[in-house]
Amino acid sequence: MADAATHDHGHEDTRGFFTRWFMSTNHKDIGILYLFTSGIVGFIAVAFSVYMRMELMEPGVQYMCMEGASLTAQTDCTPNGHIWNVLVTAHGILMMFFVLIPALFGGFGNYFMPLQIGAPDMAFPRLNNLSYWLFVAGSALAVASVLSPGGNGQLGSGVGWVLYPPLSTTEGGYSMDLAIFAVHVSGASSILGAINIITTFLNMRAPGMTLFKVPLFAWSVFITAWMILLALPVLAGAITMLLTDRNFGTAFFDPAGGGDPILYQHILWFFGHPEVYIIIIPGFGIISHVIATFSRKPIFGYLPMVWAMIAIAVLGFIVWAHHMYTVGMSLTQQTYFMLATMVIAVPTGIKIFSWIATMWKGSVSFETPMLWAFGFLFLFTVGGVTGIVLSQAPIDRIYHDTYYVVAHFHYVMSLGAVFALFAGIYYWMGKMSGRQYPEWAGKLHFWAMFIGANITFFPQHFLGRQGMPRRYIDYPEAYALWNYVSSIGAFISFASFLFFIGIVFYTLKFGARITEKNYWNEHADTLEWTLTSPPPEHTFEQLPKREDWDKQAAH
Amino acid sequence: MPMYWTITPQAPGTVPGAFALAANDGAEYRLSLMPHLSMGPDGFVRIIGISALVLALPLLGVLGTPVLWGLLPFAGLALWALWYALSRNSAERRALREDLCLTKERIEITRTNPRKPAQHWEANPYWVRLNLAEKGGVIENYLTLEGNGRVVELGSFLSPEERAELYAELSHALRHLR
Repeated sequence: MADAATHDHGHEDTRGFFTRWFMSTNHKDIGILYLFTSGIVGFIAVAFSVYMRMELMEPGVQYMCMEGASLTAQTDCTPNGHIWNVLVTAHGILMMFFVLIPALFGGFGNYFMPLQIGAPDMAFPRLNNLSYWLFVAGSALAVASVLSPGGNGQLGSGVGWVLYPPLSTTEGGYSMDLAIFAVHVSGASSILGAINIITTFLNMRAPGMTLFKVPLFAWSVFITAWMILLALPVLAGAITMLLTDRNFGTAFFDPAGGGDPILYQHILWFFGHPEVYIIIIPGFGIISHVIATFSRKPIFGYLPMVWAMIAIAVLGFIVWAHHMYTVGMSLTQQTYFMLATMVIAVPTGIKIFSWIATMWKGSVSFETPMLWAFGFLFLFTVGGVTGIVLSQAPIDRIYHDTYYVVAHFHYVMSLGAVFALFAGIYYWMGKMSGRQYPEWAGKLHFWAMFIGANITFFPQHFLGRQGMPRRYIDYPEAYALWNYVSSIGAFISFASFLFFIGIVFYTLKFGARITEKNYWNEHADTLEWTLTSPPPEHTFEQLPKREDWDKQAAH
Repeated sequence: MPMYWTITPQAPGTVPGAFALAANDGAEYRLSLMPHLSMGPDGFVRIIGISALVLALPLLGVLGTPVLWGLLPFAGLALWALWYALSRNSAERRALREDLCLTKERIEITRTNPRKPAQHWEANPYWVRLNLAEKGGVIENYLTLEGNGRVVELGSFLSPEERAELYAELSHALRHLR
């Protein structure tokens, strides 16, 4: 019972710039902050990869020299493998921890999960703010680690993103410690964010919205949150032990003191395999909404779609050792991990076929988000198929640590998750900003990225089959052709990324204003489409009406 | 619906919300309103149970090695944090409630707020005006009570449908007591 006259309504947004963006506890603002910050970190990580592709374009070493790293080809160059190793490591750590999770889970998860379940905000808005700033602090530490004294008397540490001991326990300098802290802090950020999202999802759904009426994107974010909560503490424990091995003379993993480096690999991958699903599952959620909207049909098989995501999450926790077939496991162990891994194809297949079935006899139109969703569908399937190839222990003996593996995980991550991310950005950009991007520009971005990314990564299958190993700065003449092609593709992709940055700023400044609430069609039927574009500062302080969200025939 | 009626003395055949049967003389209606909570105690147990199970999985493999002591605190911390967050949020959401007590002589509303002092209002039900503004109110189906020189709002945390239902039941009760 509030006094009627003092009912806090209206809510003019009177916050200043600093208050709004630096002290924000609003889930929508924090979502936007996550998206922009991960975009900036993403630019750094992409720039590293382009520099690596420049180096790999020709046999021999032209750019990463002992004399200093340069952006122009040098003729007198002593190869400097340390720079290469540092860039490989930084690219991996940044992309895994500081770009994809914060963008998909932190950004879209924060912004749209509460809206889709009709909650006014996250359960703990100030904790949400803390999560975001921990992520910023972690990103800063990760970048600082590249620039601080490390192994080989140079800057940065080059041990690979998996931080395997004994490499990581013997790397000199404090760069490695900063990298470990970076992962710690980002892990703490993700765990706090995950707890916040789990609580919001469980306690704050609108009346009548039982678990199996929740929109698929909100479901995907919830499942992701749960995976983060269950996988990341394991990583935190593992890298804490690395830290004490490095600094306090313990020997958990350092073989020199009687530790077990293989045990570290098991623990790392117990986290690491769920991690890749943590990255891709929110993408599944986005793709489901995009495909349903632009096929003008409700999603096919809502319930199997939910259960498939749950099944993928559960299976993700029991297949970790397929990353380490070559460490000397028993035949029985290898057989188990091989079969368990192949089982994942079943729920993944359910999702792929349900998306195709959604389009079946739908009225499909190819607006930009749908192009990205199509790209996702095709490329993720390609990556999934090479995944099944790699899941076979005997074949993995041949492909282990070759470019075939690089091609595989870039098809599922760089092409799968990133295409889902772009689908989400174009799908919701108008909702978040109130301005629409120019359609031609979005399409040009898609085609440039689609062509560029395929030219980059498809030839890497050939290189892997030829036997080119990962993580080397140089290669014999025999691999020259496809490396050259792959580098050209990387430059095209990079150009498309620069163009995308242009699209974002153009749209925010000059994009056509959106006046409708739902600027797609009536099959974009989740609760965010009942709000204005952009939504007001406070949303769903009053519970939404049931007919606003309960539309699916499957319910 | 998060809305509970208690009517004393309980006339035979009386069900909550059915006022016609309650005795006019000395009848006391008590109504409690609370926000919707989408997870019950069962859900809490299930969530914590599954989480504990999955968190125990990597621990099984390192039983008997010193690495167990590196992982255990983090697994425990994560589980505790989930427990704490879920129970704290549930408690906070339960702390918000509105209690209405209605007799022939007096209508009384107490709103308990999670972090602010409780608010209180009372009036003589004979003069109280109950109003439901379907459109044009601050919110859809805006439910207000006017009396004792103040207009107060009821059930702002309910859904519009629930407020309409509450309006019907409450006006019935008021009519019955006049």
